[in-house]
Amino acid sequence: MDVNFSADDLAFQAEVRAFLAEKLNPRLQEGAANTPSVFTEPDITREWQSILHQKGWLATSWPEEYGGPGWTPTQKYLFEKECAIARAPSLPILGLRLVGPVICKFGTAEQKAHFLPRILSGEDYWCQGYSEPGSGSDLASLKTRAIRQGDKYVVNGSKMWTTHAHHANWIFALVRTDTEGKKQEGISFLLIPMEQPGVTVTPIITMGNDHEVNATFFDNAETGVENRVGEEGQGWTIAKYLLENERGGSCAAPSLLAAIDRIEELAKGLPSGVNGALIHDPVIAQRIARLRLETQAFETTELRIIAELIKGRPAGPQTSLVKLISSNLRQSIQELKVDLFGYDGLQLPVTRPLYGNDAPEPIGSRAAQLAMPAYLNGRAYTIFGGSNEVQRTIIAKQVLGL
Amino acid sequence: MNFDLDENQSLFKAAVERFSLNADVLTRHRTRALAGGFDRIRWKELADLGLIALAASEKDGGLGGSMHDCAVVAQALGNSQTVEPWLECGFLGARLLSGTSMAEQVISGETVVAFAFAEAGRRFALDAVNMRARKAGGGYVLNGEKEFVLNGAVADLFVVTVNLDGVTALFAVPANAAGVDVKPYPVVDGSFAIILTLRDVAVDAPLAGGAERLSGVISDTRLMASAEMVGHAQRLFDDTLNYVKTREQFGQPLGRFQVIQHNMVGGYEKVELMQSALYRALLAPPANLHKEISGLKAFVGTAAIEVAHLAVQMHGGMGTTDELGIGHGLKRIMLLSKLFGDPASDLAAYAMAA
Repeated sequence: MDVNFSADDLAFQAEVRAFLAEKLNPRLQEGAANTPSVFTEPDITREWQSILHQKGWLATSWPEEYGGPGWTPTQKYLFEKECAIARAPSLPILGLRLVGPVICKFGTAEQKAHFLPRILSGEDYWCQGYSEPGSGSDLASLKTRAIRQGDKYVVNGSKMWTTHAHHANWIFALVRTDTEGKKQEGISFLLIPMEQPGVTVTPIITMGNDHEVNATFFDNAETGVENRVGEEGQGWTIAKYLLENERGGSCAAPSLLAAIDRIEELAKGLPSGVNGALIHDPVIAQRIARLRLETQAFETTELRIIAELIKGRPAGPQTSLVKLISSNLRQSIQELKVDLFGYDGLQLPVTRPLYGNDAPEPIGSRAAQLAMPAYLNGRAYTIFGGSNEVQRTIIAKQVLGL
Repeated sequence: MNFDLDENQSLFKAAVERFSLNADVLTRHRTRALAGGFDRIRWKELADLGLIALAASEKDGGLGGSMHDCAVVAQALGNSQTVEPWLECGFLGARLLSGTSMAEQVISGETVVAFAFAEAGRRFALDAVNMRARKAGGGYVLNGEKEFVLNGAVADLFVVTVNLDGVTALFAVPANAAGVDVKPYPVVDGSFAIILTLRDVAVDAPLAGGAERLSGVISDTRLMASAEMVGHAQRLFDDTLNYVKTREQFGQPLGRFQVIQHNMVGGYEKVELMQSALYRALLAPPANLHKEISGLKAFVGTAAIEVAHLAVQMHGGMGTTDELGIGHGLKRIMLLSKLFGDPASDLAAYAMAA
């Protein structure tokens, strides 16, 4: 047993670190660090995406022939880790991590030629149409209907939690093309252009005051038959493939550990109000220590999964364990962060962004201003991409055989 | 043994419920959109119902309600998710100004009082350090800064903790006095706090007996904050119970799934214990009251946050939005659980108390 990286891997890590040091400018760092919602806004991600695209390091989970860098699982891990430590912005994952790999695997030659370069260049910005008002955890019960008329589909229905739909020009959606038989078998995977009269996007403001998600309505919206990925009725298989990518495929521990490091730094500079710095408060010190221990163990779990991937064994339902543990850790870290700041942690800015010249003046510090909105938005970690309850059911059935 | 409300308490509870009949997401958004996030007309209505008077003694012109009477009101206000700041401006205001000529105006709802106690970099410390008073002529001059002055943007009057020769004194400062500067910022429950800056503000004498009363007033307010949290937690639990009975997934109500049932029973245990903990504190002998209130607030603060987290989780995506009372309840609980100390500092105070 060892957790040592090879000389080649270490050289790669050094190259990534040098690249990040050179290319991550203060605007990008501030934009990434001062975003309390789950996704960074396009005004920040577009610039970062184009820097990575030029370098050929953008679509790390794509096969090389479509523009992926051809990295090993270890290289992907090291890249993610260095990005987390350097506080690089997140990327528009809906295109790069979700629909991109789906098109690579299930798309036609025409779909690949048309869509993949536009995802890489940022010309297309994607959102996801999965959940519906009546279909949350029970995704397969979805009702949005697509009826084929000649060489197009006419789509009617509504989709919830469409992240960044207000920025997107395309949506990938699960739609019902057949109402007979088993509910999973009547679902198809459609790519639908957003810029048409039949598509309406309504904001859903979160309790943290962020506009990140929307409700998206289809009223006789249209898309060409050539924009169906896979066969009619194959949508559920594709959806499961995509959800496993959403739940796994990235590493969470380095970013969680970096967040714990920042909390420890902050606690050294904040008052206990009683005696010296907050880091000497035994309750705070123990909470930091407990989170660090659990996150370090979780980091090793992620490394064990990567070791399996290197040997060519698929991650499978382990992605549910990673999603479950990382979501819970993320929330505990955000709760602790709010608790650091005393009354200053209770400020909740109404306007966005919290970076650049338009940011409202913080009380105490920018970190204090970010704590509450991040905590409130973070309640969604244990809900989106399959709730904790759904993940536990998957683990119970597929891992534990219950 | 009897835990029923008495006749007066039932009447006050009913009055709150009538007052809060239309408290919903829409009216809360509407109130928060007003200047300072505060509805003065509603505040007058609340005062006219005697709800502030209840917190004031008879010699101040109030109704001299007991702690139990006031806790019934606080709990009912929490349960109805009412945004009017009865706790921090009504109850606390009336108590701070007890024995002064200003009490009457507070009780009638004409004067809105905000308490300026928090100083930057001092966490939950209650003694004043950086807001200072010096003698000048027959009166005093105040200089310094306070933060987290809840509802300060709409206050007519501030009660300020001040460092007077190393001792914390209370001064009343009219909002329109020369040298008063107010900088509002939004806080988690949707209300607005201010940074209050005083520059050479001339005032008369400190509030008579104010400093001596302060720890008792704050302790009583912590009890009321706990009562309000119990009300919020019960409301969140009730709304969530209703939701899991009606929301269907996988062809049946969520509440038919055993994992949901067990989660809900966990919430029910907490809500029951919170109510009992509140009764216990209300029944504590005066000598133990201070300690019991610290323990109560530590226990209720922790449990209320857990119930609120459960409520969000059971509501799924909708629970994370600003479109349901679920998030509003969580956010108010976050504020209350940290008012005059958070669950960790409250628990430490309970553990260390004699």
